Amino acid sequence: MCARNSIYTNPKPCKHLADYKLRHGFNTYDSIRYCLKTTPNGRTRVAKHTTKIPRCSFCDRYQGRLYFCLMCSSLWCPTHILLHTQSEKGHEVAIDMDRSELYCCLCCDQVYDPDFDKVVVCNQVKDLPGGSKSKTNRFEASGERSSKRKRLDSGIGLDLKKSKLLVSMRDRRAKSCYPLGLRGLNNLGSTCFMNSVLQALLHAPPLRNYFLNDRHNSVQCRKRSGEKLCLLCDIDAISSAMFSGDRTPYTPAHFLYSWWQHASNLASYEEQDAHEFFMSVLDGIHEKESKIRNSGKDDGDCQCIAHRAFSGLLRSDVTCISCGFTSTTYDPCVDISLNMDTSNLSSSNANKHIKPDEKTSASTLSGCLNLFTRAERLGSDQKLHCQNCQELRDSSKQLSIRRLPLVLCLHIKRVEHSLVRKISRKINQYMQFPFSLDMTPYLSSSIVRSKFGNRIFAFEYDNFNSSAAYEIFAVIAHSGMLESGHYVTYLRLKNQWYKCDDAWISEVDEGIVRASQCYMLFYVQKLLYNKANEDSSFVRISPRRDPLESTAGCSQCNKLMQARPAKDNSSNNFLG
Amino acid sequence: MELLRERLIDCGWKDEMKALCRAHVKKKGRNNVTVDDLVHLITPKGRASVPDSVKAELLQRIRTFLMSAAL
Repeated sequence: MCARNSIYTNPKPCKHLADYKLRHGFNTYDSIRYCLKTTPNGRTRVAKHTTKIPRCSFCDRYQGRLYFCLMCSSLWCPTHILLHTQSEKGHEVAIDMDRSELYCCLCCDQVYDPDFDKVVVCNQVKDLPGGSKSKTNRFEASGERSSKRKRLDSGIGLDLKKSKLLVSMRDRRAKSCYPLGLRGLNNLGSTCFMNSVLQALLHAPPLRNYFLNDRHNSVQCRKRSGEKLCLLCDIDAISSAMFSGDRTPYTPAHFLYSWWQHASNLASYEEQDAHEFFMSVLDGIHEKESKIRNSGKDDGDCQCIAHRAFSGLLRSDVTCISCGFTSTTYDPCVDISLNMDTSNLSSSNANKHIKPDEKTSASTLSGCLNLFTRAERLGSDQKLHCQNCQELRDSSKQLSIRRLPLVLCLHIKRVEHSLVRKISRKINQYMQFPFSLDMTPYLSSSIVRSKFGNRIFAFEYDNFNSSAAYEIFAVIAHSGMLESGHYVTYLRLKNQWYKCDDAWISEVDEGIVRASQCYMLFYVQKLLYNKANEDSSFVRISPRRDPLESTAGCSQCNKLMQARPAKDNSSNNFLG
Repeated sequence: MELLRERLIDCGWKDEMKALCRAHVKKKGRNNVTVDDLVHLITPKGRASVPDSVKAELLQRIRTFLMSAAL
């Protein structure tokens, strides 16, 4: 599906078809409609004679392709249809019976007419199970599930089953073997900042699962709060659209509108900062949730999905230089903003003597994290009151991570403010980052311990934290200048990287990702990452397995499929 | 019929045929090819390249059906 344009040009009709349409308009198309029959897999045939075997009017042949003349409903095989056209004037257009496709006898070629296709598709949609004449919904028993389906109906306009059938048919033809959930987002006017963050959010395992498991029910939400605007409802809608299987780019217009209502100071068509947007969205989600639950819980204990996924706890130790007394405070955070560890940029370092063997080349994530957790001497103008000394003293401050979140969002501060020249500029320096990240050295347990040197005995919270191992799943990269740039998101799904550039999704090599100018890095706890990648049952709730889905895939996947029996229920089948 | 289609897609036959068509169209130019051309081009190759496993499976099914229908 790589770089397929969403707009394709319709082939121009041949002059015979154009003439035909001028003369007869839609009359014959309409009458054909009653002869169209749709098979379960979505193929539409012309089946006028249900008892007789269709045969060529000239040679009686019934094998191979047969054409159905639109004017007189006679049947012809490809060899003899020309005879018919020559003998009867005006009978130039026919339909391929098996495929319901138009054929021009004079051009001897297939022709296309959007109006005809419209008739056929309407018919297909009507005929497929669960159409307008649907009998009782089989899944009524599972109450909630079917209501989610119905809600999707109103959103998409087609029954989910039908759209899945139609889509999986289309997917097969498009050789799309991209994982479920990958879908481009249309740019609504410098909204790449929004699209990039949405891509990352929707693929964060906790959020992805939250929405796929229907944890936010829009119907109930509307009933409860009575408000029409809910960011979570909008994100839920986007999530449904992303995971629907439809690969055409989606337009998150409603979400944009809702967000504008929430962050009215940022509501414009100017480019915004992705990180600012990210914070704003999390805030919006939290606000709505806390309004509903009426709880004044602080962010650390909040159970809204934004906090459950992103909230961590930072520890700040302020130490008096003179006496060593330390005061500790804990602050919740939803992300960590890191300064870049460049030693040869800012003017404050101009005085420092740079040793010749010091590495000043590349910036690394571990370097940034080290910088973040380094004990920083506060300036003499920032003297703090020491409780022990009972007076203002020079102090040093050190940050560490007390509790890691499920999803770790690292924001790389690429803006440099020069107070002297009163300008801001973007730091374009490349920063190296790992795909697997171990956060142990930055935990409070490690940092606090290291203050005392190399000690062996146990400290206050010295539990071996196995949940400090993280795997990267999304990278938001920025290119361009401060005022005008472009954001793209790189997503890692099942160890394959995909580039999400607004509406265009493509597979990319990991080298591209490593070389990109990262702005926001999203890591998720390794256990969750592994689970998300192997557990492929997070697809739309579909108790009935469509026989199509086991065969959807491109030729590479086909080789894999061949090794297994057709209706395999193993979890390796990512549509299973 | 549907089963046959399914099997042919599975084994990559359809993709091979598609590739053949594409190559032909590239050679001739998009506007110089008709469906009939392609059909005449593909038919012999296609018939020959159906995998034996697919043939065997379908023949088996036909046999079974005929036997059950005959009873």
